[in-house]
Amino acid sequence: MPVEQSVVNPVVPVPFLRGGIYRVGDILSRFSIEGKVGLFGLTLILLIAIFAPWISMYPPSEITGKSLEAPTGAHLLGTDELGMDIWSQICYGARMSLFIGLAVAIIAGIGGGALGVLAGYFGGAVDEIVMRTVDILMALPSLPLLVVISAFLGPSIANIILILVVFSWAKPARIARSQTLAIKGHACIAAAKSFGATPFYLMRRHILPEVLPILFVLIIGITSYAIMAEAGLAFLGLGDPTSKSWGMMLHYATSFRSIYFTPFWQWWLLPPLVALIVLLLCLAFVSRDLEKVLDPRLRTSGGL
Amino acid sequence: MNEKDRQAIVFRFAITLLVILALNFALPRMMPGDPFSTISSDVQGEDVIIMTEEQREYFEHYYGLDLPVHEQFVLYISNLAHGDLGKSIQYKMPVIDVIRLHLPWTILIVLCATVLSTIAGIILGTISARNRKHGSDRVMMTGLIAFAEIPSFLLGLILLLLFCVYFRIFPLAGAVTPFAQYDSILEQAWDIGCHAFLPIVTLALAQLTGVYLLTRNTLITVSTKDFIRTAKAKGLGEPVVWTRHALRNALLPVVTRTGFVIGMLMGGAVLVESVFNYPGIGSTLRSAVVGRDYALIQGILLIVAVSILLCNLLVDRIYRRLDPRVVD
Repeated sequence: MPVEQSVVNPVVPVPFLRGGIYRVGDILSRFSIEGKVGLFGLTLILLIAIFAPWISMYPPSEITGKSLEAPTGAHLLGTDELGMDIWSQICYGARMSLFIGLAVAIIAGIGGGALGVLAGYFGGAVDEIVMRTVDILMALPSLPLLVVISAFLGPSIANIILILVVFSWAKPARIARSQTLAIKGHACIAAAKSFGATPFYLMRRHILPEVLPILFVLIIGITSYAIMAEAGLAFLGLGDPTSKSWGMMLHYATSFRSIYFTPFWQWWLLPPLVALIVLLLCLAFVSRDLEKVLDPRLRTSGGL
Repeated sequence: MNEKDRQAIVFRFAITLLVILALNFALPRMMPGDPFSTISSDVQGEDVIIMTEEQREYFEHYYGLDLPVHEQFVLYISNLAHGDLGKSIQYKMPVIDVIRLHLPWTILIVLCATVLSTIAGIILGTISARNRKHGSDRVMMTGLIAFAEIPSFLLGLILLLLFCVYFRIFPLAGAVTPFAQYDSILEQAWDIGCHAFLPIVTLALAQLTGVYLLTRNTLITVSTKDFIRTAKAKGLGEPVVWTRHALRNALLPVVTRTGFVIGMLMGGAVLVESVFNYPGIGSTLRSAVVGRDYALIQGILLIVAVSILLCNLLVDRIYRRLDPRVVD
């Protein structure tokens, strides 16, 4: 933490990232009960995803039982119409959902954030181009377009990630830009400039530490958006047919002709449904608390 | 300033519309597959080509698919100007008729859901703002925020399982009972209402929290203003102060949000309609994508996009009317 900055501009609050790892404990201790529950749930799902091959008894896409068996000791959650184990599909599906969510969020968050910082810092034509694109993207009806574009690109995981990135980088870009604009006016920037700081130095040293906490919160938000969108697309039948994501499980179960007239939905449709809802709720709790702890200003200035 | 602002807004809408038109035109044409392989096949996903080369050429010509791309685009725009959205390959009738057939269902559930979520959100928001110092408010707020995180189609699935499958209160699918004979218009309305109830509730619940939070937050901001203190000081009762003085001033952002809500709901309807097999425009879009019905996809996208843009524009206008401060 450079001393000069707080001397030149005492108004700027100390950015959280300067503190290092020991502050993680501090942040956690300020979580509310929901936040802690969310964190616990998230850790659990993460562990399930990581250790999927060890905690599931069967490979997810192999026929290991009779068709549509009710839950028993051999098949914890029963089997689907093809006789594949549903618990295994849930375990491996966690991998798929988390991977897609995190990949989209990290690419969109960092890419959009970088564009926003550049737009805010340089202004002029760069700013104009980035912000007009953001305006248009935010005005477009995302879900119908998602449906059509993913149908046209063909269902594969890479394509789904690509489309979701295109539709989710606008928000981080906008917030990073407004944050950059706010910091640009501070005296510390002028002071650093007068000492000969290059734009790159200014961005790394002064702007990024201010923007990063907000981006971090946004990335969690985008993760849950991406997981939700992937599940929605998969549910419509536009997911990667070779993957067993939770959305695809919903799709297969609801496409089964008499699912609602038979007891099969109890072990075929409910598990992925509950899993998705738990994951999204946990993400939401954690992101709300992180937002409160890391950056109280987002609540008042973000306003989206 | 005002004139300039308006121009900027109209310009932005024009650009957005143009982007949608271009996407709309380009995307379906780049999709894998061929409309003529499903036209001739009864099994979806199984491409059986039973047409001869001549028949195929005849159909390509009939649907204008043999022209160069730029001519197709010019044709597309000029047809649009005439209100002609092309012919649906799946339904074998003009796209505009297909849309006309399905759009009313979507409008019905979207409008009902908008009204329901706005009214419920305002009421809950007012209650919550008044009780904000009690513990009960915190429970309500946390509950509603958690609720908002459940995407509408998952919520729809839960409601469907609960009320249609487990308790069997509501019908499972469709918008009307098939082959039903109605004795009176009331009976018909009841049937339609029963079918539309769960989709409407699902859509409304998904948007409820946004309206609720907005009402609550603006009400709390407004309630610290001087004129509220004056109103209280002159002896007005709590209900009058909250509704006549605070709420009226807090509703402006809620009005702006309504346009946004309609837009979100139009999009969300695609998934929710699929959950309930509701024959609106969303389910039609899904079947059009599966059947690679270029013209129908274009038409639906266009209608959805234009209606969302119009809602935003309209709300902007209404907002200017309601709040005299915006004009100067």
